[in-house]
Amino acid sequence: MNDKPLILVIDDEEAMRDSCTQILVKHGFRVETAPDGQSGLEKAASLKPDLALIDLKMPGISGLDVLNKIKEIDSEIISIVITGYATVESAVEAMKRGAYDFLPKPFTPEELRIIIRRALERRELAREAEKLKREKKLLEENFITLVSHQLRSPLIAIQQYFETILGGYAGEMSPQIKDMMLRAKERIKDLLQLINDWLDLARINRQELVTRFKPVGLQALLQKQIETFMPLAKESSITINLEREASSDTVMADEQSLEQALANIIHNAIKYNRPGGKVIIRLWEKNSSLAIDIEDTGIGIPPEHLPHIFDQFYRVPLTGRGMTKGTGLGLSIAKKIIEAHDGRIEVKSVPNKGSTFTVILPLARTP
Amino acid sequence: MSAKKILVIDDDPDFVAAVTPILKSALYEVATASNPTEAKEKIFSEKPDLILLDIMMDSLFDGFSLCHAIKTSREFREFKDIPIIFVSAVKEVAGTRFQFKGEEQGMVGPDDYIDKPIDPADLLARIEKLLKK
Repeated sequence: MNDKPLILVIDDEEAMRDSCTQILVKHGFRVETAPDGQSGLEKAASLKPDLALIDLKMPGISGLDVLNKIKEIDSEIISIVITGYATVESAVEAMKRGAYDFLPKPFTPEELRIIIRRALERRELAREAEKLKREKKLLEENFITLVSHQLRSPLIAIQQYFETILGGYAGEMSPQIKDMMLRAKERIKDLLQLINDWLDLARINRQELVTRFKPVGLQALLQKQIETFMPLAKESSITINLEREASSDTVMADEQSLEQALANIIHNAIKYNRPGGKVIIRLWEKNSSLAIDIEDTGIGIPPEHLPHIFDQFYRVPLTGRGMTKGTGLGLSIAKKIIEAHDGRIEVKSVPNKGSTFTVILPLARTP
Repeated sequence: MSAKKILVIDDDPDFVAAVTPILKSALYEVATASNPTEAKEKIFSEKPDLILLDIMMDSLFDGFSLCHAIKTSREFREFKDIPIIFVSAVKEVAGTRFQFKGEEQGMVGPDDYIDKPIDPADLLARIEKLLKK
């Protein structure tokens, strides 16, 4: 310990104060004394002792009241009561009011020393535990951020080397080396995507999302998504159409998250489509909700797999040589985000004809 | 005209090693620093023409405060016009805590932002544009 612990002795008997002081100073404590409850409380407030030794039977403010008030001054001060009339009742009462322990008179110097040591050690442990608890909480709160940084940093450094090498800034490569480097770069990119997806999933938290809710117009949001995905769709000659049947298109949402949820579904509708296929996005009203259909003309999902497609890392086994990439988390993320918006997601699918995902969100109340 | 000098400030030595050849290929001189203290020294000793500054050095705020200091403090007044490009691996995603918007906290922001990993051609184009100003 860095400082000598300070003990405050509150007792109306001078002999008692003196002998306690003598014993405690000898054992390396600092001691302050007070002859009555009132001055004892004043000293407790101004000196913030580590421990108070309180005589229960004093004129003026009683020992039990002093005990209560010391707790109010500083809950960290440990109180030990000295009971002249060593009855079980008074000791029990003192313990009930938050005394750490009691010491019946008369007591030996050794008894006093032991009880004080034990009380201080106990407090030290409680403080340590409290500190650890706080650190753990802080770590938990920032865990995702820390993990995110730790996991992503090395991968991004690797990606930067690939960019530089493949850009030809580190000298010539044989076609074979270049081919392998390109493949390695793709794998790193997939891994980074997996980490990003997983972190997104861990991070989506309704309480946090709600703080960012504002009215969002779905038509504009979907239009923007379509523009984003157009280049990818064109690669497979897929058309994307937006049909609006709803009069209002406003929902309360965290725009960025909702965008991500819908993007994941639209991306799938393109990825699992057939060349020359269609994606139809339909905005319609259903009771007091808005529904968004995302319909594709793709490979569909066999019925036995439908119940699992929102599970984390679940991938529908693909027949044929259709090698598709993805982390198996896209739909889990979408579902979690939509549910955080008090919405739900449904799916219908016919193998080899296509799937329709329907996102249902509560309509924002018009003022 | 002599070669322009670029100061790369990043705590990841691999990132610095990977970016340096890109800059050298465009005939820039390259100086490097791996922490804010070293960065300050290098600004004075190297007098760079442009700074590439990683947002996440030791803490999230180092990059922002260094940028703010260069642009506004007396200490750096002879360097206040050096263009600064923020480089970051900070991903904008739902619920992220990373979105520290320096400008919103009254800090002076950089002249440009670029994401890691940097696309070499994109980086060189941005640098050229800022140096022409």
